[in-house]
Amino acid sequence: MTLGPEAMTALGLSLRVSLVATLLALPLAVATAYVLARWRFRGKSLVNALVHLPLVLPPVVTGYILLLVFGRQGPAGQLLHELFGITLAFRWTGAALAAAIMGFPLMVRAIRLAIEAVDPRLEEAAETLGAGRWAVFGTITLPLIAPGILAGAVLGFAKAMGEFGATITFVANIPGQTQTLPSAIYAFLQIPGAENEVYTLVLLSLAVALAAVVISDHLAARVARRISGRSRQT
Amino acid sequence: MGKSLLILVAAVLLCLPLRAGAGDGLVVHAAASLKGPLDEVLARWADGNAVASYGGSAAQARQVLAGAPADIVILANPDWMDWLETRGGIIKASRRDLLGNALVMVVPVASGKTTGWPDPADLPDLPSGIAEWLGRDGRLAIGHTRSVPAGQYARHWLEGAALWPQVAQRLAETENVRAALALVALAEAPAGIVYATDARAEPRVREVFRLPSAGLPPVVYPAAVTTGAGAGADALLDWLASDAAMAVFEAAGFLRPPGTP
Repeated sequence: MTLGPEAMTALGLSLRVSLVATLLALPLAVATAYVLARWRFRGKSLVNALVHLPLVLPPVVTGYILLLVFGRQGPAGQLLHELFGITLAFRWTGAALAAAIMGFPLMVRAIRLAIEAVDPRLEEAAETLGAGRWAVFGTITLPLIAPGILAGAVLGFAKAMGEFGATITFVANIPGQTQTLPSAIYAFLQIPGAENEVYTLVLLSLAVALAAVVISDHLAARVARRISGRSRQT
Repeated sequence: MGKSLLILVAAVLLCLPLRAGAGDGLVVHAAASLKGPLDEVLARWADGNAVASYGGSAAQARQVLAGAPADIVILANPDWMDWLETRGGIIKASRRDLLGNALVMVVPVASGKTTGWPDPADLPDLPSGIAEWLGRDGRLAIGHTRSVPAGQYARHWLEGAALWPQVAQRLAETENVRAALALVALAEAPAGIVYATDARAEPRVREVFRLPSAGLPPVVYPAAVTTGAGAGADALLDWLASDAAMAVFEAAGFLRPPGTP
């Protein structure tokens, strides 16, 4: 079992895309999860539905919407290009955006569960002792939900590694630029007799996905232990 | 109340007949680029019922060999038909070249003022001026050059015309030729290479150059009856190759297979 140069490039690109996607989406996911878990406001179910949209839409549709909005001719794509000189179409940055959007709902779900498991009385106690909102979040909430954030990040990373439909629709399948691991698998599947490359890449993907889910489970178990432990002391 | 409504809806859905792939009809597994005219040809078949399932040639070939209920298979690529033939998926004697196609370079219909791409009126002749047609940072939309037949043909021609070094780093390779077409139609790419039939079916693109057939391996769609085919498959294949059917295919821009008058 050996990895050809195209497979190695695809693996490296997938890791870079997934890492950047996860780091970019994580702060936003924490904020969104906090709002959904703790705030009450009109239209909350609409926000919740929007967050989950990438999970239920066919990925090809998500990719096509990205192409229309963030492409060279799209409104957001033109704005990004003029203001910051950022081009997303047919670049690895576009693949990272697609991966971030597809992984976002998974991150929000994991983090929201962790926030909802935190006893609000702990936060209220800190507030009565004079801590401001940010201080409460930074010293009470954040440490308690840290494993949940990690679990969400791992899930989002795994989703980014596996993302195919939106990516290939938005940024195509350019070796070295946008050909991620799943796109490479797809391309090799189209070539008669390329089964060996396919099997290698499939095993690689399986290993990454399995590791991510196992790590995520482990972290989720830790957050449960930690929070129930603290609750008993109150 | 809500629950009983849900149960009612579920019951109705379960009772709906599954029309597509009806048990008494024949199933044609066909390359995606045939959608449109093939549906029309099948609808006009007088001697029986047939429906088509469309997809990439690779997926179709693999599905047929894996036992998909296909009676006839039509692929965009002789390589995959060879693959099927050596594995016993088709009846060898029934195999024939059903259709041909041409490859063309297309550009968006929208003018350069709105798209930001170079205006074709100011550009040098094709194919030698191809780099200028892509502008400063445009990409040539093209099927994946290793795995998509239209991309393989295009690469073969680009290499033969010594244009490959100019465009090799300027490609937007897609998973099928229709995706490349969509990129040009949306003006995300200033130019692309697609089948003549694709260009004709998409009003937002304009053909600017037809790849000379002399520099290309023939673009051919082989068809065959599968090993597990039901009765009537041979008759259906004869119908697909008949003059009446060919008139429908030709109206959509397909060619008669290479080597026929």
